[in-house]
Amino acid sequence: MEDRVFSSVHSTVFKESESLEGKCDKIEGYDFNQGVNYPKLLRSMLTTGFQASNLGEAIDIVNQMLDWRLADETIVAEDCTEEEKDPSYRESVKCKIFLGFTSNLVSSGVRDTIRYLVQHHMVDVIVTTTGGVEEDLIKCLAPTFKGDFSLPGAYLRSKGLNRIGNLLVPNDNYCKFEDWIIPIFDEMLKEQKEENVLWTPSKLLARLGKEINNESSYLYWAYKMNIPVFCPGLTDGSLGDMLYFHSFRTSGLIIDVVQDIRAMNSEAVHATPRKTGMIILGGGLPKHHICNANMMRNGADYAVFINTGQEFDGSDSGARPDEAVSWGKIRGSAKTVKVYCDATIAFPLLVAETFASKRDQTCESKA
Amino acid sequence: MSDEEHHFESSDAGASKTYPQQAGTIRKNGYIVIKGRPCKVVEVSTSKTGKHGHAKCHFVAIDIFNSKKLEDIVPSSHNCDVPHVNRTDYQLIDISEDGYVSLLTDNGSTKDDLKLPTDDTLLQQIKSGFEDGKDLVVSVMSAMGEEQINALKDIGPK
Repeated sequence: MEDRVFSSVHSTVFKESESLEGKCDKIEGYDFNQGVNYPKLLRSMLTTGFQASNLGEAIDIVNQMLDWRLADETIVAEDCTEEEKDPSYRESVKCKIFLGFTSNLVSSGVRDTIRYLVQHHMVDVIVTTTGGVEEDLIKCLAPTFKGDFSLPGAYLRSKGLNRIGNLLVPNDNYCKFEDWIIPIFDEMLKEQKEENVLWTPSKLLARLGKEINNESSYLYWAYKMNIPVFCPGLTDGSLGDMLYFHSFRTSGLIIDVVQDIRAMNSEAVHATPRKTGMIILGGGLPKHHICNANMMRNGADYAVFINTGQEFDGSDSGARPDEAVSWGKIRGSAKTVKVYCDATIAFPLLVAETFASKRDQTCESKA
Repeated sequence: MSDEEHHFESSDAGASKTYPQQAGTIRKNGYIVIKGRPCKVVEVSTSKTGKHGHAKCHFVAIDIFNSKKLEDIVPSSHNCDVPHVNRTDYQLIDISEDGYVSLLTDNGSTKDDLKLPTDDTLLQQIKSGFEDGKDLVVSVMSAMGEEQINALKDIGPK
């Protein structure tokens, strides 16, 4: 009797399991006994679990974005022109990469990682918020400093210091920005009136990139590399304040957002036969704007989200890639991942194992 | 200086019509030039230096001649133009058919280049007071080359 009870309890607790051998990867972290080898350490993340694994997948997906060529796809004869069938042409067609990020990341050191990508034309379209633009320009005029999350607000206000998380931006930096930008708006207004230039946010940003003329700025490199920077919410930041004040001094500057939405959506729609990939840091406007544009081409082929948003409140910022699939913003067949991590940690590590290491390899092989 | 009757000249040919003053020092009920119009300030608010750049003064003002509301935002360290606003009293001699008034100046000559004011209340007061035969003294405000009757004084029966 006791034996029967014992064996039924035994079989309940020790329920026979399905073997995962060969189906799933084994969890194995980095062994520091092999020394501190950073590339190996980063590669070990894929099998470390939790968000490390997600970051490992993100690295994989970005590498796929970078490696894909049209030559990898079979030719669908009826749809192709003669040029499109040419193998060397097909080898040259790469994935179009959309990079989106929020302004706090530009206040942080991730700005320099972004600048590296733009400098070497590793991304094709940028979407960001107004802060994402002005913080980059202001850093060329005066630096941002490291502070602390716990610094009291009233104290900081009395010292003229603005806090962004644990970073500090002195008011004076914005004064310098105002002094720099207002004459540029005057010039632009003159060109609008005399040469019939119709400004759009992306044209304005290209102009600012040209004017800042500083190699530490990603906007400067975007101007040089002809990479469009879209910022449909251009008025929501210090730049918007400057437009507001400028309109009192000399009114009449017009900025057309309609032209820019044509341009942005066209980037997605006319990308074909290229595949498209999205790398989006943070949520909010940049995340949605890029996804929405890709909806116009029935969805992106690759998507990497790095953000700390949660989906329980139904926000778009916290939504997983699968939600975007339901909208047609990402294809059902796409390779996607969401890394739940602060981009200041995840993104430089991701770039190290993707864009930067590929470039180092290319440079070495050329050397 | 010619003494032609209908020749209008600014009273002091050499002096400027405005003078500069730092925006941060202009207060409510003071005067300011906005978009070339002389105005009386009805509201001033200052925003401290911050994300929008330098500290700024936001002025809401009323054009002293046509009562239009105008506003301006100026950095507080910036200089604004402040109009010289003069008030002179003249005795009302006559009102012509086409709406011009004839005023007695200090030196005994007449000043005939001003029209009746457009403000209805003031207009009625002047017309009815004049018809009643009262001795009326009008207050003329001048700024930046423009003049207008803006107040009425009754100096009592003859």
